[in-house]
Amino acid sequence: MRHWKELVKGIWSRNPQLVLGLAFCPTLAVSTSVSNALWMTLAATFVLVCSNLLISSIRKIVPGHLRIPLFITIIASFVTVVDLLLNAYQPEVYRSLGIFIPLIVVNCIILGRAEEFAQKNGVFVSVLDGIGMGIGFGLTLTVLAAVREVLGANSLFGYTLIPGMEPATAMVMAPGAFFTLALMLWAMNAVNSRSKRK
Amino acid sequence: MMKDIIKPTVILTAIALICVFLLSHVEKLTVPVIAKRAKESREQALALVLPGFTVTGDEKRARVDGSDFTWWEGEKKVEDAIMKEKTVKGFAFLTKSPGYSGDIETMVGVDENGKVTGLTVISQTETPGLGARCVEVASRETLWDRFRGGIPVRDFADEARIPWFQNQFEGLDTKKKIGFMRRGVWNPNMRESLLEKNAISAITGATITSTAVIAGIEAGVARLAKARATQAPAAPGGAR
Amino acid sequence: MEIKVFVTILLSTIFINNYVLARILGLCPFLGVSRKLGSAVGMGLAVIFVMTLTSFITYPIYKYVLVPYRVTYLTTIVFILVIAALVQLVEMVIEKTSPALYQALGIFLPLITTNCAVLGVAVLNLSSGFAEPNVSMGLLKSVTQGFGGGAGFTLALVIMAGIRERLELADIPENLKGVPITFITAGLLALAFYGFSGMKI
Repeated sequence: MRHWKELVKGIWSRNPQLVLGLAFCPTLAVSTSVSNALWMTLAATFVLVCSNLLISSIRKIVPGHLRIPLFITIIASFVTVVDLLLNAYQPEVYRSLGIFIPLIVVNCIILGRAEEFAQKNGVFVSVLDGIGMGIGFGLTLTVLAAVREVLGANSLFGYTLIPGMEPATAMVMAPGAFFTLALMLWAMNAVNSRSKRK
Repeated sequence: MMKDIIKPTVILTAIALICVFLLSHVEKLTVPVIAKRAKESREQALALVLPGFTVTGDEKRARVDGSDFTWWEGEKKVEDAIMKEKTVKGFAFLTKSPGYSGDIETMVGVDENGKVTGLTVISQTETPGLGARCVEVASRETLWDRFRGGIPVRDFADEARIPWFQNQFEGLDTKKKIGFMRRGVWNPNMRESLLEKNAISAITGATITSTAVIAGIEAGVARLAKARATQAPAAPGGAR
Repeated sequence: MEIKVFVTILLSTIFINNYVLARILGLCPFLGVSRKLGSAVGMGLAVIFVMTLTSFITYPIYKYVLVPYRVTYLTTIVFILVIAALVQLVEMVIEKTSPALYQALGIFLPLITTNCAVLGVAVLNLSSGFAEPNVSMGLLKSVTQGFGGGAGFTLALVIMAGIRERLELADIPENLKGVPITFITAGLLALAFYGFSGMKI
């Protein structure tokens, strides 16, 4: 039961972006298309799970004051692995994600989970936590990306929806990202405050 | 005191060494794949921008205006008006120009008369839905068609899968100024009238991207001339 | 001629491709430190300083160490460690030499390591061609981009802080308070900044 909780908490009650307020940069910047969002989710979740796994397994031998530099080194290594793999096997994705691949290093979710969870908990639970947080991150990202791609580019997964319709291009640009996320946060707050009142 | 300095240093160095050691192995695995893909895509791009030409020799490099310039030379046999066979030379080069966000790198092919034989965008980081449409394939296929399976028979069925923006450049004259029109649409029937005006149809809302690609061609043609001038003594056979 | 290039870089990093409002980098401090105008200015200055210094240091490391030894795959790891070390160093130096400045900037400095605008500028310096082995003036261009990026960040942050101070008094729906209304404001600012993209430079 506890394990199940660790896995699903990222989706709603501890959603990384909507509740914890982490990782807004990649969320907004990469959500221009659904396929970008899904690849970003995959990449970030891979790094998150690996770093949680490694950090929780060495947590007992790491001296306290060396934590942060060590975590950063470990995370940056996994990010480099993702970078190389994408470059080799998915060059298209590599190109369209651009600088946001190296920037996974400063994705606050990963360092945040290492600090808050992996260094205090066992290996198995930490991996579950990583997967759960990755799913939560990806869910918000994908919903945001779907809204923006449909409204801003008149397409989904790159396929046109209504031929000949002029899309609202502002939605795929920065303003659309800010507005859509603001509305999602608003909806989240509204649902939460209603259920609290009950 | 000494222990406080040495111990963390040793631990951090050890971890860094382990990480770098592992990374170097991942790198060794991926580098050949990356290189192979790069070579394949380069060959594909060359075939695209110099259709019908046989590329002679390897890529050539020269320093032009303080930076490297890479180009290829090719040949094609054509028959002229009096049925006499002659060889036309063609050149392909890499060129870059700043677009809306970051450089747009293109490979451009021109023949010896200065006509563009083809253009392909090598890398770009433009806004999806706007500038990024410079690599868009003019597909008439919608998501619904996808669910139903396959492309329906619609207008332009033959042209359903061509990258329209890049294809427009074929046949433009680089000796004259290349213009652009804010039509916002493109269809194969426009090709003739656009060629007459030596212009392309720009991407809606992404004039910067369109002009950047044109600027890249112009800069590239100028640099090609300079680069060939520096190489001419070394390759006497290549002189026009 | 050369001066024009630098003006172009500055204008485009501050206005046209503003790091926060167009490239969407550095949102965490943008949301976190934009409640008070005073602290926004302090944070902005610290970011300008660190971004300029980062560009100044990461560029030679890339060009003279990583490229010659063919270890460019280590770029990410080296850059983030350089930035972390740099931030620590700057913090210590400021603390020793100017306690007054440390008082003003002190709490913001550790936050800068995880500011993706800083790592962003280091990586962007490589991809926008400044760091190509053969381009002359690459270092100066990188430093200019670092400074411009920091200045653009500061501009966005200060405008945002000014607006948020006023918003404190406004009557906003309960569920929009805090982060959501800040994002709506940021969206409007970003729309306004798109006006700059038509600028001919």
